[in-house]
Amino acid sequence: MAAALAGLTLPAVVEELLSEMAAAVQENARIPDEHLSLLKFIFGPSAIQALDLVDRQSITLISSPSGRRVYQVLGSSGKTYTCLASCHYCSCPAFAFSVLRKSDSLLCKHLLAVYLSQVTGTCRQLKVSDKQLTDILFAEKKQKA
Amino acid sequence: MAETLRRVLNLGTSARSGVEDTAEAGPPLLLLGGPGSGKTALLFAAALEAAGEGRGPVLFLTRRPLQSLPRGTGAALDPLRLQEVRLRTLWAGFPWKDCLRYLKVRFQYPPSTHELLQLLCSAHEARGPAPSLLLLDGLEEYLVEDQGPQDAAYLAALLLDTAAHFSHQTGPGQGCGLIVALQTQEEGVSGDALQVSLLQRYFPAQCWLQAETPGPGQHRLRACLDPGGLGPRAEWCVAFRPNGEMTITPWPTQAGNLSLDKGSSSGGQP
Repeated sequence: MAAALAGLTLPAVVEELLSEMAAAVQENARIPDEHLSLLKFIFGPSAIQALDLVDRQSITLISSPSGRRVYQVLGSSGKTYTCLASCHYCSCPAFAFSVLRKSDSLLCKHLLAVYLSQVTGTCRQLKVSDKQLTDILFAEKKQKA
Repeated sequence: MAETLRRVLNLGTSARSGVEDTAEAGPPLLLLGGPGSGKTALLFAAALEAAGEGRGPVLFLTRRPLQSLPRGTGAALDPLRLQEVRLRTLWAGFPWKDCLRYLKVRFQYPPSTHELLQLLCSAHEARGPAPSLLLLDGLEEYLVEDQGPQDAAYLAALLLDTAAHFSHQTGPGQGCGLIVALQTQEEGVSGDALQVSLLQRYFPAQCWLQAETPGPGQHRLRACLDPGGLGPRAEWCVAFRPNGEMTITPWPTQAGNLSLDKGSSSGGQP
């Protein structure tokens, strides 16, 4: 897969895996072991960490009346990270290092957890005002300043 | 937004097909080139093309007001001075349809990275019709202020997220395109190569502008559009006449003609 697409889309094999996982969850309410094995093969230790985040219901989808959305993930350290809904971005240090700088990883565990929470339907929902959503998005930049 | 730029680049040729006449926006596009390579002129041409489609306004973001409008249509105007637009239209034979298109292009001038981020983060609070095209000229000026790759990634991701939100508002089958212009440095300055590589993650389609030097008094560029695996690469010759007017023709494809020196453009042009 071309690196130029890495910010927007997943490799076809991952898309297919997530699609099959979603179908299996809908039918059996659980992710089949073979899917978990493949997930670990593709994503390594991040897969376990992401599944743990999903189990603890750490992913929240925040939306406003405008329809704009953003994800927040409560990390294992207790810190909350922001993940955009439309492309691959996470505010965690691992995304900056492993994904952006080293290109070792396709996703950080938080972004993977977002995808898995969509598959399992375990994403919390939080509705905020348009102004509050602006503040959440802008807070990402202010934290780094 | 590769398809909109492809339509702009094909406007000067007869190479238009039914597929290219659709209003399909195409993937987000990064327009790269050195100083004076015609990025602003092409951006503005894309703005007029999209404005003429009647699908919605066009939002053009740039750090400072354009001193004169790029002369794709044979006139130079201050976009903020509507009275001058009317006078020019009446007395100088300025194309009326282009005047109408100008009025659909909304210019905003965020003076700093902070202001640009604020604008993008609050885009969903704006009322009125969603733009059909979001353009940003001079991304490098906003990246200078940033601390590192994650900041650059956040800016790029926010641009995409904003365009995605506008697309959601316009509804299925329409969408909001995104074209961002980035000035690359001259060969030998490698600092921006990592930055370009990072931005290419978020912009599947790229258009490189490379200056050619055909002779004194002439300014010609080679525009190479790569739609990011979603279509064939194509090249055009973009020339600027002494009066500033831009003309676009297909790049000659016969062997032995002007060859592209792939090493002369910084940033890792493919």
